[in-house]
Amino acid sequence: MTLTFLIHQSKAFWRSKNTGKSIAMRIVMGILILYLLLNVLVVAFFMDRILEKTYPNQEIIQSFNSLLLYYFLIDLLMRFQMQELPTLAVRPYLHLRINKNQLINYLSLTSLGTAFNLTPLLLTLPFLIKIILPEHGPAGISAYIIAIIGLTLTNHFFSLWLKRKVNLNAVWMLIFFGTLILFVSLDFYFNLFSISALSARIFNSLIAAPLYCIIFLLAAGIIYLINYRYLKSNLYLEELHSADVSHKSSTEIPFLGRFGMAGDLAANELKLILRNKRPRSVITMSLFFMFYGLIFYNRPDFSAYPIIFCGMFMTGIFIINYGQFMFSWQSAHFDGILVSKVRAKDFFKAKFLLFTMFSTLSFLLTIPYVYFGWRVLVIHFIMFTWNLGVNTLLVLFFANRNYRRIDLSKGAAFNWEGVGASQWILSIPLLLGPFIIYLPFNLLDYPEAGLATIGLIGLLFILSREFWMNKLILQFQEKRYTIAEGFRNE
Amino acid sequence: MLKDLEMNNMIEIKNLKKGYNGVTVVNIPQLNIKKGESIGLVGNNGAGKTTLFRMMLDLIRPDAGEVLSKEKNVADNEEWKDYTASYLDEGFLIDYLTPEEYFHFIGGLHNKNKAQIDSELVQFTEFFNGEILKKGKYIRDLSKGNQTKVGVAASLIQNPQVLMLDEPFANIDPSTQIRLKNIVKELSREKQITTIVSSHDLNHVTEVCDRILLMEKGKIIKDIATNSNTLQELEQYFSVLS
Repeated sequence: MTLTFLIHQSKAFWRSKNTGKSIAMRIVMGILILYLLLNVLVVAFFMDRILEKTYPNQEIIQSFNSLLLYYFLIDLLMRFQMQELPTLAVRPYLHLRINKNQLINYLSLTSLGTAFNLTPLLLTLPFLIKIILPEHGPAGISAYIIAIIGLTLTNHFFSLWLKRKVNLNAVWMLIFFGTLILFVSLDFYFNLFSISALSARIFNSLIAAPLYCIIFLLAAGIIYLINYRYLKSNLYLEELHSADVSHKSSTEIPFLGRFGMAGDLAANELKLILRNKRPRSVITMSLFFMFYGLIFYNRPDFSAYPIIFCGMFMTGIFIINYGQFMFSWQSAHFDGILVSKVRAKDFFKAKFLLFTMFSTLSFLLTIPYVYFGWRVLVIHFIMFTWNLGVNTLLVLFFANRNYRRIDLSKGAAFNWEGVGASQWILSIPLLLGPFIIYLPFNLLDYPEAGLATIGLIGLLFILSREFWMNKLILQFQEKRYTIAEGFRNE
Repeated sequence: MLKDLEMNNMIEIKNLKKGYNGVTVVNIPQLNIKKGESIGLVGNNGAGKTTLFRMMLDLIRPDAGEVLSKEKNVADNEEWKDYTASYLDEGFLIDYLTPEEYFHFIGGLHNKNKAQIDSELVQFTEFFNGEILKKGKYIRDLSKGNQTKVGVAASLIQNPQVLMLDEPFANIDPSTQIRLKNIVKELSREKQITTIVSSHDLNHVTEVCDRILLMEKGKIIKDIATNSNTLQELEQYFSVLS
């Protein structure tokens, strides 16, 4: 039966309308994952030296042992963020003469095939062979390997279980993060409790008595059973609509009411962002970008290049991150927009309104960077102008050429749906634009003039926005059939 | 005199053609729909009904020909949007809004404020059967039948002169079907609204519409004014086919 499911799923993949795109995306993803695993391998091979350098006063094995639990904690967090729930659309099988056990086993088995499960072993195996094997013999290394596999599986099924719980009720997420924060703060702020000491104790006793490793396998087995039983009792909910029972209320955003029809449309899009998973996670990621500057500004005497770069990303992250997928966000109801009395002009004005709102907010949030000097703030403002003037138009120009449907209910991390040539091409002018302007001025030793030019060009485009918007609208009228047709293809 | 006759045409279709991969999906040399007429569009799956609707609503670019609404090509201007309301499928609904928000948004497009919309929605109390308003759900969480109700009601509150509905009876319960039939009948007979409704249920369309268009492989092969024999005639056609 498992084989039949596998065959069905491969058919679903190959016969999908978007097969070509999916294959290309998988290849890109595959290369990316390979690259990441390669990095892991490099770290793995030099693990002993790294540990030696970082903790010179400690025995290597001690450092290794005390770090293992931390690693699996981070692993759990990463899984929770990025691991996808296995997706066999079980709906067409539920009413057939197929045991639920078979379905669940399939779901559990296929879920194992993820890079997350490979990383822990890949990361530790070279170290184990180099250090543990000569010192503690085959029994020691087997105990370690079994324990690590056990922990990996525990994390794996625990994160699947937790994700399913969270899908039904977000309170579980609060509980999870609450517990984590509690432990971490107890460890780092109050020193009441030490995860590293615990970790060291656990693995030291493992060296003393290798048979303890059975406990880890047991833990994995237990969490597997919990997950299994949970799935079994909830299988009819799986993949169907989430049983979110909380009351949804109508909200109004009075501030936007002032902008007429464009304001109403922007309000709708704001609701789109807040009420759907994927755009919401785009916004969360954008918030993290606000810390981008900390990476580059920390060094003494940094040049203008990183400020231009970070300034553009921090003040324009919404335009870039959200805008690159325009109008795909609205793909599910694009037909409705076309037949309704929404004028193309208001449609575009709403986009500009949204861009301006979010960019202004980002700019305000980045004001504290003034700590690194006034120059930073001034350049941020220049890039803010550039974003509003140039990048908004650029993003909308490519939006007219984007025909890919997006499912709003999926997460954004590692989600390649809706990514196509237009996003890749868009990134070229987006990334290079300001540097092409700044570079010659800087080479001629007039950096200030270069910055002023960037700001002026931004301002010029803001002032002439009406003109460019009309051009975009003309294109939109021409392309709307193709866009609508692309959006209808699921 | 001739001019007057032409003026009566709400919608006129000329040489309309659309094909996909060499297969003709719609091919209509000429079709006139007069003001206040109620049209029933029938045909088996793949006959081209939805494609025809989409071209009338300027969602698909025709390969050839044009659709004129009040003598203006729908592809060249947007005036028809002022008086045309439609519901083809869930793709017309903004599914992350609550029904109330959606109605207010649609009403706002036609310059009606919230209070006006709310008072207009009162007339749908029966039609909604207590399942749409104030339920605290987003449209995406409603059943398909209830989504249809939202779509139909949203097109009615636009006070249209032309109303297009694609299979409105398909997912809704019998009571609502009867209510919807009464609403459509009233619209065309009393308010002179031009209605175009497609359906697979021959009983419904012959009851509601005074003119039936039968499509097969993209062509309109029958164009009949409804009378007591129409249902029989249609049933005969469809049973011969199968």
